[in-house]
Amino acid sequence: MSYVAIKGGADSIRASKRFFRDSICLAKGIGDDELQKGLIFSCDRIMSEGALYSEKLAAEAMRRTGGDLFEAAFYLRAHRSTCRRIGEAEPLNSSSMRVLRRISSAFKDIEGGQILGPSCDYVIRLFRVKIGDTPEFSAARSGKSGLPPILTGNDSTPSGVECLRRRDQIIVLENKEEKPFDVSRSFPLPPYPRSALMQVMSRGETGAMLAFSYTSMRGYGDVHPTIGDLRIGYLSVEFIHPFTGNKVKIGEIRATACESIGSFNSDPKDGKLRLATGFGFCIGFNETKAIAMSILDMAMHHKGYSIGGIDIATNPEIIMHHVDGIESSGFANHFKLPHYVTFQADLQVLEKAKEQTDE
Amino acid sequence: MNSTTFAFIDEDAKKEIRRSLLKAVALPGYIVPFASREMPVARGWGTGGLQITLSIILERDVLKVIDQGCDASVNAVNIRDFITEVTGVKETVNTSEASIIQTRHRIPEHEFAKDEKQILVFQVPTPEVLTTVEPDTAKQKQMHANSDYAKLWVLLYEDTSQYGDSRISNRYPVLINDHYVMDPSPIPKYDIPRMDNSPVLQLFGAGREKRIYAIPPYTSVKPLKFDDREFKVESFSGISCERCGAQNVFFDEVRRETGNHYFCSDTEYCDQHLEKSNAS
Repeated sequence: MSYVAIKGGADSIRASKRFFRDSICLAKGIGDDELQKGLIFSCDRIMSEGALYSEKLAAEAMRRTGGDLFEAAFYLRAHRSTCRRIGEAEPLNSSSMRVLRRISSAFKDIEGGQILGPSCDYVIRLFRVKIGDTPEFSAARSGKSGLPPILTGNDSTPSGVECLRRRDQIIVLENKEEKPFDVSRSFPLPPYPRSALMQVMSRGETGAMLAFSYTSMRGYGDVHPTIGDLRIGYLSVEFIHPFTGNKVKIGEIRATACESIGSFNSDPKDGKLRLATGFGFCIGFNETKAIAMSILDMAMHHKGYSIGGIDIATNPEIIMHHVDGIESSGFANHFKLPHYVTFQADLQVLEKAKEQTDE
Repeated sequence: MNSTTFAFIDEDAKKEIRRSLLKAVALPGYIVPFASREMPVARGWGTGGLQITLSIILERDVLKVIDQGCDASVNAVNIRDFITEVTGVKETVNTSEASIIQTRHRIPEHEFAKDEKQILVFQVPTPEVLTTVEPDTAKQKQMHANSDYAKLWVLLYEDTSQYGDSRISNRYPVLINDHYVMDPSPIPKYDIPRMDNSPVLQLFGAGREKRIYAIPPYTSVKPLKFDDREFKVESFSGISCERCGAQNVFFDEVRRETGNHYFCSDTEYCDQHLEKSNAS
């Protein structure tokens, strides 16, 4: 028996990396354009969960990981750690979004209109319908190739929930935070500020967010939301120019926002009955994640109807520590690392306990 | 990769981590939250230890990285390659030559220099010792503030009454400086007494859980145990390393059809011991 086998072998590790690069991950020939436009939802999940808006790096990450979204998002997060922060952008307001799609399931007719936009919601998922069978999107409305220009001419499209808010029918939670918490610069101790929870969720893993929110929709909780406003579109990012002090638009990002409406509850402000709402937001187009986030936000901040005694979605402790894909996937995979020492210790304890109990 | 930053992480992040470290050293055993940047190795693969090492490392440092006591294990190789690539520091397998030793699951067998100049950086999966008995962070914090470790004592009592001893084989709870109870990271019980009154600065980083804590040199570290019970570490009596013949160290057990084989868990210790026995 060779001693090298026990050591693991640095050479084997290096060979494994080459093997991966040369035989599993064969995406070198796929260009940025194909990945960014052809796999836009993968690209957006990577940017959102990787917490970095860069289509270029998202495409590169996809190529390097064989399209494993956990791994690809991880590349973006790791890259973030090398970048020094240069400042904070002006707050984004989702009502100023240039919407591409905007729907409300609460009202038939809403200010700004129901705009179905591009969506696969209405597609019949059958392979027998060929991609070329449906007529192309009117070329007259789409400027260049790819996504068409924006369908509404309005500068501002208020949320579908706004009409209820104006009539004082919505609970407006008191904001005790002077400025938003920043989870990427320090980590809060409980009780967690809402802004910190929102940030963690906004970069959370879509599947985890969906599963936790599904517990509340399905039975371990009471959130059966009505979607007050769900939109995808473009948001301008503005920055205060360091020399002139003026607001400057530095670019545009794709984003998704969702406001859902829950059941009514006694408003902590004055005890009157009003409707609870939750908000979800993420960069890129990802409606499932934004809806899930809005449900979790609502579940955590409007308690009181929970039945069954098992609370998952309502517990900030659960959401705060369990929705991040970089963390959970990393930890699940770390079990592949050697645990010889700890397992050895486990066995010794087992032997001793057996001696005791077998007596 | 951003090659302009020494040691990978941006300077603001390093500053934050160093501040957390200072607080941790000032309050031995106290868990300090920090933002925890993502590293290019996965969460759970030593990102906490890695961030500490990258924040404290200087050009003149000499680095040793081990995993399970071994310099050539997957995790150790990757982390060492990465750190030397982004810092250009000298690497070593020699414990006495290293100024920073990053480790997962073991403390090297060799004695450390008495001059307090060596730093031992532990990779930690579960920084909060109370997690086993209380998963809620808010309650954990309160329990530490009140020195309320009753639930740990109950666990120890229940295990002792049923199995004759605690079932905890690694990550054994330790009392630091007679104040906080702390998770020593998943080292075997064998290494616990070796933490006590040690001349090295022991730093602990949990990247995924975003926590840092520390034991300054020459601090008391005692395993949680009942007065009338002995703290039993793993026993390897009568066993010696098949390769170098060493005794009274922590062994890797290899099970084959031919029976159990034992080798030093600390491979560098094994190499040196072998060299010495060959020379004499």
